[in-house]
Amino acid sequence: MSADSKASIVLVALAAAFLALIEVFRSDLWGHPEPLREVPLVDAAFTNTMTVRTNAAELIRQNGDTSGQDCYACHDKAKPPQVKVDEQGSVVLPEEHNDLVMQHGRNKRNDHCYNCHDPANLDHLLTRDGHRFKLVESSRLCASCHGPTYRDWEIGIHGRVSGHWDRKQGPVTKQDCTACHDPHSPAFPSIKPAPGPHPLHPPPHARSPQPSFGH
Amino acid sequence: MTRRNFLRTTAVAASGVAAMAAVLAPLRELTDFPSLDQFLQKHYQEMTPPEIEKVLERIAREVERQYGLRPHVRDLKPMNGVEFVYCLNLTRCVGCRKCVHACVAENNQSRSPEIQYIRVLKMPNGTFDMEKADHNYAPETVPQEGSYFMPVQCHQCKNPPCVKVCPVKATWQEADGITVIDYDWCIGCRYCEAACPYWARRFNFAKPSIPKDKLNPNMSYLGNRPRPHGVVEKCHFCIQRTRAGRYPACLEVCPTGARKFGNILDPESEVSYILKNKRVFVLKEEIGTLPRFFYYFDV
Repeated sequence: MSADSKASIVLVALAAAFLALIEVFRSDLWGHPEPLREVPLVDAAFTNTMTVRTNAAELIRQNGDTSGQDCYACHDKAKPPQVKVDEQGSVVLPEEHNDLVMQHGRNKRNDHCYNCHDPANLDHLLTRDGHRFKLVESSRLCASCHGPTYRDWEIGIHGRVSGHWDRKQGPVTKQDCTACHDPHSPAFPSIKPAPGPHPLHPPPHARSPQPSFGH
Repeated sequence: MTRRNFLRTTAVAASGVAAMAAVLAPLRELTDFPSLDQFLQKHYQEMTPPEIEKVLERIAREVERQYGLRPHVRDLKPMNGVEFVYCLNLTRCVGCRKCVHACVAENNQSRSPEIQYIRVLKMPNGTFDMEKADHNYAPETVPQEGSYFMPVQCHQCKNPPCVKVCPVKATWQEADGITVIDYDWCIGCRYCEAACPYWARRFNFAKPSIPKDKLNPNMSYLGNRPRPHGVVEKCHFCIQRTRAGRYPACLEVCPTGARKFGNILDPESEVSYILKNKRVFVLKEEIGTLPRFFYYFDV
């Protein structure tokens, strides 16, 4: 075989190989990597900065609807309501107050209405040592029993703060105790957690068993 | 050269070139070539104030083109006499993950694929063994009996391993203690991600996607401006807020007030009180990273 025909065979083979390669690349034989899963947007409820409940003090301050706090719409100013107690000594709530859950303190140690409410004026709160507070000052009533917590709250390390850490550049907002704690059932409520992280790809054990050439 | 030889060689060369073109075809899908300005941009710490102004203007222009919204891009400097510290009350955290999503919204993280700076670990009571942590918990309600929750994010270490390993000095510690990243200098090698003992750094494997109506226009160069594909990012204590005196977004959204933030050099600050009076600890103390992120218990 002459050197010339050898060269032709090599060149033809090369051209064929190149043409085959073009087809391979063009037809995307390896395919594209599997597209990423679309992650749903998180519910806006998880980014809002509202407190877990609306409290009477805030409603009064904002001039909101305080009809629910108007004691004397039903009660008589001259007659302080009598608190009924069952054989175990726990308070029996009248039907009108059935929405209250009485869970303040373990073992029902603090479930008497007049431990905090003033029988002489239901719009006021009354501490055990005789100090009267309006509803907007309810945090000071809480302080009469929860001293260390109130001290931490005043410093700003108990409860929520928002605004400015640098007081020279702007104000800081603190919340009342009742913005997070229901005074009749003060344990912080259980809430729904936001969805967990969505990894880029499902973890290996959750993947389909057939091999993938995408990577 | 004979005529036949010439034709043969030309045919082979042409098919070779065509095959090469076919190989390079996926490059057509490439968009977003850097502009010349961006290509020649210097390292953040080497730029003069007028140069930074020009860069901020370019970023504002690019964001406006992409999102149809004129952002307010700033370059806030560390404040004198300020060193930031974060404290997190494990007694109060209920594991609701609101901080995770407030952070994503504030800092313009990619929504899909998802990038989150905060990871909330669910831990069984009585242990700090990270092997027992679960971050995929999904109960109906939290908190849960028998476990506690431990959010982890960048600890802004005083001795940061991530800064040491960066081959191009694209990440460094600022005077107020925040470890920042120049996203235009990062080459995406992910060494820092591997070096971080707290799993705090995230890599943009894909081009970040943020819905136009979800973009936060209050931006800063070292903070929450939109990141390009292929760079690392992480928590920066909301630099665009905290250097303007405000609290970070994760703190303001926390429903229980478990998160506390402030200037440790100010003896009157909340964090100073916590460090003086509460039982404080840092995560993985034994590795000597000296975090500026403290966990504590009260009661």
